[in-house]
Amino acid sequence: MTRGRGTPANRQPRFPGHVPGEAGIWMFIFGDMMMFSLFFIVFAYYRQQEVALFEASRLHLNIVFGVINTLLMLSSSWFVASAVRMTRVGRGHTASILFGGAFMCGVCFGVVKFFEYGQKFHAGITPATNDFFMYYFIFTGIHFIHVLIGMGVLAFLSAHVRSAPLSGTRIRNIESGASFWHVVDLLWIVLFALLYVVP
Amino acid sequence: MNAKSQILCALGGILCPLIFFGGLWPAAGFFPPPPPLEGAADIAAYYQAHTNGIRLGALLIMISAAFYIPFTAAIGAQMRRIEHPLTPVLTYTQLGAGFCSAWLFLLPGLVWTAAAFRPDRPPDITQAFNDFAWIVTVMPFMLAVTQNLALGFTIISDKQPEPIFPRWVGFFNLWVALLFLPGGLLTFFKAGPFAWNGILAFWVPACVFGPWFFVISISVMRAARRQAALGV
Repeated sequence: MTRGRGTPANRQPRFPGHVPGEAGIWMFIFGDMMMFSLFFIVFAYYRQQEVALFEASRLHLNIVFGVINTLLMLSSSWFVASAVRMTRVGRGHTASILFGGAFMCGVCFGVVKFFEYGQKFHAGITPATNDFFMYYFIFTGIHFIHVLIGMGVLAFLSAHVRSAPLSGTRIRNIESGASFWHVVDLLWIVLFALLYVVP
Repeated sequence: MNAKSQILCALGGILCPLIFFGGLWPAAGFFPPPPPLEGAADIAAYYQAHTNGIRLGALLIMISAAFYIPFTAAIGAQMRRIEHPLTPVLTYTQLGAGFCSAWLFLLPGLVWTAAAFRPDRPPDITQAFNDFAWIVTVMPFMLAVTQNLALGFTIISDKQPEPIFPRWVGFFNLWVALLFLPGGLLTFFKAGPFAWNGILAFWVPACVFGPWFFVISISVMRAARRQAALGV
């Protein structure tokens, strides 16, 4: 642990024990994951009370939309990881384009969500329909707030990597922002599994 | 240099939650909160049985507001050392949000006072006051979130070699802002995790409420002491 939070001299890419970003962002990330874990526990608890209703409601979700969004999130993470790699070798321009690609994945994620929610409303399904859809709308809604914040971060990073030089502080900020986006991806995958897939 | 008055103001951040909680719990017995689904007759009976405790608790909760104001000012004074001296917009935002938040301690106290003022009136009226007070206590997340975000972003943007606040305190504020969000959903629910006595709307914010005050107060006091040592 002492190595991770170590001196600036330790802050070299791929140094053994290197913590991406900074300690603070990881506190935020673990805090955020704690909140979502609580969401999942709450969901599991209420699901247990009404298993049949939750299962019947789950089948109304459109798994195609869910799968497309999962692929979008995974691709966005690939873009972000590649962008960070490019940043470390000093190719700021390429990194900027890659962050832009991740941002576009976020845009597409939003478009899919728009149609997915639209389809539900069109079928007369709202958060008031039953507990399952209440959790579905609230949890995916709070996740979507994360996506929007993350897209703001990605837009910032895309501009940030263009301006040379890519000093230690800049790389730290880029790693922090990238780590946050990976969490947005991770949380979606858990949500997807929990809401759409797990029978 | 006024490190002493700064520390005194920051101390408000320790006293405010203690007095607030003292009013809410031992005095008024509002911890945990009465469930939103409880009937008007039961609510009225509670106010009749605990009239003076609720009156005292409401008074204490209103007094806690007084300590929130200097606390907000002490945070602002240290934030101002980070921001551009001519245009400290986030400092202003934090001050504005913080001063408005003081009303979130005053208003429920006033409404509980009104509820307990004539406990023998028709139960429906007492229930309406009780609803109002609890909604005011739990729902207005936006002021706290604005204050947290303004403070958090300012701390993270600090580029001085010796930052005024530890950077993790900045991220901590962003996290706390996130935890306050579900409170806004209580308007749709009378039971479950998002009701005003639910785990996500009430218990999670209630659990971070105290630690937030403590972390920020201590950080402001330390910053003031360091400032005094530097003589700036």
